[in-house]
Amino acid sequence: MKKKKSLPGIVYIVICFLFLYLPIFVTMIFSFNSSKSLTKFSGFSLMWYQELFSDAEIMSAVYVSVTIALLSTVISTVLGTATAIGLSKNKKVIKELIININNIPIMNPDIVTAIGLMILFSSLKIEKGYMTMLLAHISFCTPYVITSVYPKVRSLDPNLANAAMDLGATPWQALYKVILPMIKDGIFAGVLLAFTMSFDDFVISYFVTGNGVKNISIIVYNMTKRTNPTINALSTIVILVIMVLLIIANVVPAVMKKRQKRGTEAEQTIREPA
Amino acid sequence: MKYYIKMVRPYMVWSVLMIVIPMLLIAAYSVTTGGNTLVNIQFTLENFAKFAEPIYVQVFAKSLRIGLITVGICLVLGYTLAYNICRFEERIQSSLILLVTIPMWINTLLRTYAWISILSDNGIINTFLQALGLEPVTMMYTNFAVIIGMVSDFLPFMVIPIHTSLSKIDKSLIEAAQDLGATPFQTFTKVIFKLSIPGVLNGVIVTFLLSISTFVIPKLLGGGQYTLIGNLIENQFISVGNWNFGSALSLILTAVILVAITLMRRLDQEDKEEEL
Amino acid sequence: MKKRLLALMAAAGLSALMLSGCGDSSKATLKVYNAGEYMDTSLLTQFEKEFDCNVVYETFDSNESMYTKILSGESYDVLIPSDYMIERLIKEDYLQKIDWDKIPNSVNLNQDVMGQDFDPDNEYSVPYFYGTVGILYDTTVVDEEDLSEGWELLRNTKYAGDIYMYDSERDSFMIALKALGYSMNTDNTEEIDAAYEWLIEQRDLMSPIYAGDDVIDNMVSGNKSIAVVYSGDAAYIMSENEDLEYYQPAEGTNEWFDCMVIMKDSEQVDLAHEFINFMLDVDNAAANTAEVGYTSPVTEAYEAMLEEDYAGISSYSPDMTNPLNECFRYQTSEIKQYFADLWTKVKAY
Repeated sequence: MKKKKSLPGIVYIVICFLFLYLPIFVTMIFSFNSSKSLTKFSGFSLMWYQELFSDAEIMSAVYVSVTIALLSTVISTVLGTATAIGLSKNKKVIKELIININNIPIMNPDIVTAIGLMILFSSLKIEKGYMTMLLAHISFCTPYVITSVYPKVRSLDPNLANAAMDLGATPWQALYKVILPMIKDGIFAGVLLAFTMSFDDFVISYFVTGNGVKNISIIVYNMTKRTNPTINALSTIVILVIMVLLIIANVVPAVMKKRQKRGTEAEQTIREPA
Repeated sequence: MKYYIKMVRPYMVWSVLMIVIPMLLIAAYSVTTGGNTLVNIQFTLENFAKFAEPIYVQVFAKSLRIGLITVGICLVLGYTLAYNICRFEERIQSSLILLVTIPMWINTLLRTYAWISILSDNGIINTFLQALGLEPVTMMYTNFAVIIGMVSDFLPFMVIPIHTSLSKIDKSLIEAAQDLGATPFQTFTKVIFKLSIPGVLNGVIVTFLLSISTFVIPKLLGGGQYTLIGNLIENQFISVGNWNFGSALSLILTAVILVAITLMRRLDQEDKEEEL
Repeated sequence: MKKRLLALMAAAGLSALMLSGCGDSSKATLKVYNAGEYMDTSLLTQFEKEFDCNVVYETFDSNESMYTKILSGESYDVLIPSDYMIERLIKEDYLQKIDWDKIPNSVNLNQDVMGQDFDPDNEYSVPYFYGTVGILYDTTVVDEEDLSEGWELLRNTKYAGDIYMYDSERDSFMIALKALGYSMNTDNTEEIDAAYEWLIEQRDLMSPIYAGDDVIDNMVSGNKSIAVVYSGDAAYIMSENEDLEYYQPAEGTNEWFDCMVIMKDSEQVDLAHEFINFMLDVDNAAANTAEVGYTSPVTEAYEAMLEEDYAGISSYSPDMTNPLNECFRYQTSEIKQYFADLWTKVKAY
């Protein structure tokens, strides 16, 4: 496309970002409010942060959100990657069947997935709580892992693994040393997706939880009844952590690349005169 | 690769248990009566017949309308944003796209919650208006609030696929169009927009799916009386306790979404065939 | 290969199980299910310390959603539902009898609150809070004379768009039925249909907001001038916003009693009794009522509030003498479903 920057274009981008970030800024600003109000800023204070760390309910929700997100990411990545690898050379019928079933949770609205799981757990008389929430999260994260890994597996040269095995590698070694490194981009994308989906989920968790197990979203949902800036303090911390992680994830590879490039350039300049 | 075929087995078992059976259970509930107890279950189509009552059809129509408005706004805003982002050098482009994605990482509920303090009667906007000597405006508990909440939530899902499509367009095609005497408007409609259709469709499908089924945003920003199809389903399961009717509603919602997606996909294919 | 994968998955699952068992499992766990914003939760921490146990505290947003949860097989030790729901739970055999000998603090209870129709001998229920439903209005906006309209004030177009209704099926129908002069416990479908028409007309005339507990914050910051609220919420709101006054229409209103009950399948019967006893302690009851604003059935706590936190706030001592006042009674499931469908229709537009 043409690389012509227009002033209205830049203004438009700025306005859009203001719109997207307005709720985030507001959340952050009012986390430092010295009164309980969420609409009038009366002065700077860190009291809500103190409140946050002494609030056992919120802290346990953070624990639930983080551990569920980590566990379901790990499990659904393993499960999803294994399935994607196994799928590529399977019979066409099985392949299409699994891909179609796999599309159900992706295409279905969250609320329908949630209700299906809730009915399932109730009919099996499984006590609702941490375990049901984890199972539900694995169940809606795995399809996303499969959809991001499967295309990478399909584009692999099928002879690669065979070649490795001809050279004496066991199937496990071939998988570990040859296939996985080649599809690592897809796996990484799957990990990111699974983690975000799980960490951000409200609807499914809300329907399948019980026994007082709550994640951050459920706490926020209950809190909206009587507003309280503690939750703003929590969001501010979450926002900052995520921003730092994203920046590290994006800047570090760029810097590394630059260094490498400079390194090779330097090498070349050294070699050239010789 | 044949060695790994068996690796699909765990997921086959898993997906039957956690995906297929729940859907079958919903279907079973939707065609039976007898409440939540397993005794005195009877087959019935009553739950679907109930849906035909005008009030429920209205709720569905309203959900569709609000959903389409949200998708429309997201499309216009999102396309313009993606288009403008594409005008920058690639390095800046990727930072800008990163900026678009960051809000997606932050809990939907937290962002919706922030909109309450922005839009409420004594909220930030109204405080600001009053400071300027203007009349305050009621925004909370209206269509406006719900749509604002949805657009700000779902916009990134529109921008990203469109940007991906736009950035893939071969520049020589645009130059060719211009060389052949196309006006900028013609270049846009005949070349750029056409080539970005896959991204547009992807964005439209995702935002439509999200906005037609949400129940949190309408509940928080629209108030207890703001009933969309998602709220109706939630109500049946959480407070009314009529799981049978709730299941029927869920099935209908799934069906509507499937039909919509299939139609849009077909549109995409027809387009491709036309090109060939 | 497959075995290793399975082992890996099993290990991951196992660690999840271990994590889920967090918290000290050697201690007894008491599960309490209460309405949202309805307890000074620091009392729970205090109770945990005093009795060396864990309290799992969950909240619901309406009696109906609590009932649905119980129906889906969830179990708790102590529940705090309202009158009509207690009657339903008793009839459907979800509750066990209270052993009053284990509750020495029951001497603190105001006897007037005891022995209500839903549980005449208090075999199953121990009072927690009680009160009425009424209209909270902004004295600077609402004309005193208009109050004589009673519940019809909610259909006075002068205040169109300036009203919060309460997002509760039974309370909204109560208002309409009372305004029409019927009993709020009617099962006559003609009367119910008339009430439905009343609510539909009100909705179209006034476009009210059907708010849940968010009405508390909204009224404290004075967003609208009229709201239907429980007397206890009114007391809290009035203590934060001086312009407001509470009013109970002469046509009668809902007198309600929320009580602590113990579920039949409770595994911690003794601890549950200790908990109920703990809540009836004068100091604890005072802390609780001061925090949430609802009227305490513990006489000394109630009297202390009249002199301290809620001095001069009328809704803290709601009028329970109007003979037209009623208490909600049990509904058959057909009538309940009938109301639920109509209520969905009132709200959905």
